[in-house]
Parts: sequence; C-alpha cells; structure tokens
Amino acid sequence: MAEIVLAYCSSHAPMMSSARMAAPQEQRENFLGALDYIRELAGERGVQACVVLSNEHFTNFFLENFPQICIGLGEKNWGPTEEWLPIDKVWIPGHPGMADHIARHTLQSGFDPAFSHLLELDHGIMTVYYELDHDMKLPLVPIVQNCAVPPLMPVRRAYEFGKALGDAIRSYDGLARVAVIGAGGLSHWIGSPRVGDIDEEFDRWFLERLANGDLEQVLDMPDSEIELAGNGNHEMRSWLAVAGAVAPTLATTLAYEPIYPWITGMAVAHFETMLDGSRA
Amino acid sequence: MSLYQLHRCVYDWVRAGEVASGAAGGAGRESFDSSGYELTDDEKKAFETKDIAAMYQLGLHEVLLNRFARAAGFARDDYRKLLEPFAKPEERRGRWQR
Repeated sequence: MAEIVLAYCSSHAPMMSSARMAAPQEQRENFLGALDYIRELAGERGVQACVVLSNEHFTNFFLENFPQICIGLGEKNWGPTEEWLPIDKVWIPGHPGMADHIARHTLQSGFDPAFSHLLELDHGIMTVYYELDHDMKLPLVPIVQNCAVPPLMPVRRAYEFGKALGDAIRSYDGLARVAVIGAGGLSHWIGSPRVGDIDEEFDRWFLERLANGDLEQVLDMPDSEIELAGNGNHEMRSWLAVAGAVAPTLATTLAYEPIYPWITGMAVAHFETMLDGSRA
Repeated sequence: MSLYQLHRCVYDWVRAGEVASGAAGGAGRESFDSSGYELTDDEKKAFETKDIAAMYQLGLHEVLLNRFARAAGFARDDYRKLLEPFAKPEERRGRWQR
C-alpha cells in the first residue's frame, strides 16, 4: 500500500515565477528556501508520484459547468497555460492508476468528484509542482477545486474530502511513496480594489491552528468571513484538504512571508508524516 | 443572460491568447471577434476599450477580471489604482482580529 511520505502546502502566487526578483531578498530566500528543503526531502524519501490540489481559476471550467472538485485521470496533463509564466510549457505525466483509485474511493466515501482525462494546469498547480521537480517528470495527479465561483463547497467539506483522499492514497497498492500537496492561499485579493493587501494577522492565526490542530474555528467559517482575508483566501480549501488527508498530523510552518510585491501572504507548511524518520 | 455573455466573451478572449494543449485554444487574441456575443452597448465598449473599471462595475467576476487585466497588459499596481475609487469601507471583523 502507498504511504504518504511527504505532505505540505504552499502558496502559489504566479509572481514567485514571473516576478521572482521583485520580492525582497530575505523574504524571497526564506520562502523559496523552504521549497528547496521540501524538494530535497522528496528526493531523500523517494517520492514516486504526487497529488496536488489547487484552485480552478477559469482555466478548465466555465460557468456552463463548474465542478467543486475534479480529479485528473489522464496519462498526461498540459501546463502551464499562462503565456507569460516563465515555466516551460510541457506535457506532465499523470498517474492514471492512482487517480482512478482516488476517484473510485472518494465516490465510495460519499463524494461526487468530477473527472477529466485532460486538464490544463495554470500557475495554481504549476508553480508549486515546478519547485518540487524542475524537470517536471514526476507523475502528477492534479485535483482542481472550486475556490472562486459561488456557491462553494464549505471548508469543512473540503477537509472531509481530504480525509477520504488520504484514505484513498493509503489504500492504493500501485505505489509505495506518494506526496500530497496543497497549493494556494494565504490571504490575498485579486480583481478587486484591495488587490495588493495582505492580512498578516489572519495568516498567522491560520498557520497557528494548523500547527496546534485547533481546526474547528477554521472549519466552521462561512465564506463571508473567509473573504475578510481576501477573495483568494478561499484557497484555504486546498490546505484543509491536505490537513484532512494526513490528520491528525500537525503542520510545521517552514516559512511565512507577507510578500507585498507578490500581493500574497506566502507560506510553506509541512506535515511530518514520517515521525520515525524513516526513508525510502 | 447578458452578464453571462460578457463573462463568456472575456473568458474566450483570455483563453485565445494562452498556450493551450490542443486546437481548441491558443488561436491568438489579435483576430478575436466579439460580434457573436450578446453584449449590451456598455459591455461591448468596456470590452473593446479594455476598460478595467467599467468591467468591475459591470460585475465581471474578480478572478476573470484579474486574468483579463493581466492579459490586457495591466500590472496589478495599475489596476488597483483604477479600482480604488470603488472600494467600500469594511466594518465586519473576522474571528482572528483581536
């Protein structure tokens, strides 16, 4: 059976690729240094494939049909779509076997995820995936979530989906070592008069709750309150899904930097699922 | 219906310039034809002049507005200045605010 040997969440502001040097050096090095550490950890632990959850930014779906969750089942997916994002546009290998297993398992668990045999991946997944594997060869199962277009899945439901996702990965016998990753958040505003604002107080509060396991206060937040830390804050659903996938494992914040040139509270949090220190 | 049409028009225009995997997208924005969309005169004008403030006032979804602005060449600092006049004071407080 597969083991989740690496679990983490990272912000995915596209400027971490497209305007990397716009960030103050210390902040940039702290944030990206945390992702360097994660990449080294993935190598040490022999990660064979990854599952990445992120927001759907009107890239694959539109108002005719907007699933709350869509699992990428394809042999390959394409990305990044943004012409201005300085990451090579390539076919990224999927992992149909694990993806199909996740879809079937979560359906059996009471969820109704959509599926796609060809997803186009934007900065939401690609920025974080690229930092994990610069060669972009690591098999990737993308899961896009609706974190933008109301009505949205309640955050508690996203957490519960993550629990089912974690069970699915752990019951898959086609791989041994899997990473599960949430990409998005923390506080930020886009397409609004407040673009560029960051709610540092919220970001630190949220990270504290992931670190001490006190998620109840997060999981009962209505969307109207979540939006007080920005419309981009709905992307907490990706973080909460990972928290659910590895519960009761707590998170350690590897980096938090309110990077104003990147208009986002940029964080990396690691859920240590290998407390015995075991390696591949 | 019209607001949907505006969204559809903007979405198709944004996607036309992106690097898509197949023939369905990436045809280029230069040759994009908006005449087939049922837009009001205000919507048509806002789209054709890339009027970010007007798009916001017309109710374009903020995620799509962000992508539209980026594709149209506006930096965030620029479009924030355009949108700032529409900011509303926020009196609500989140549970994290002491």
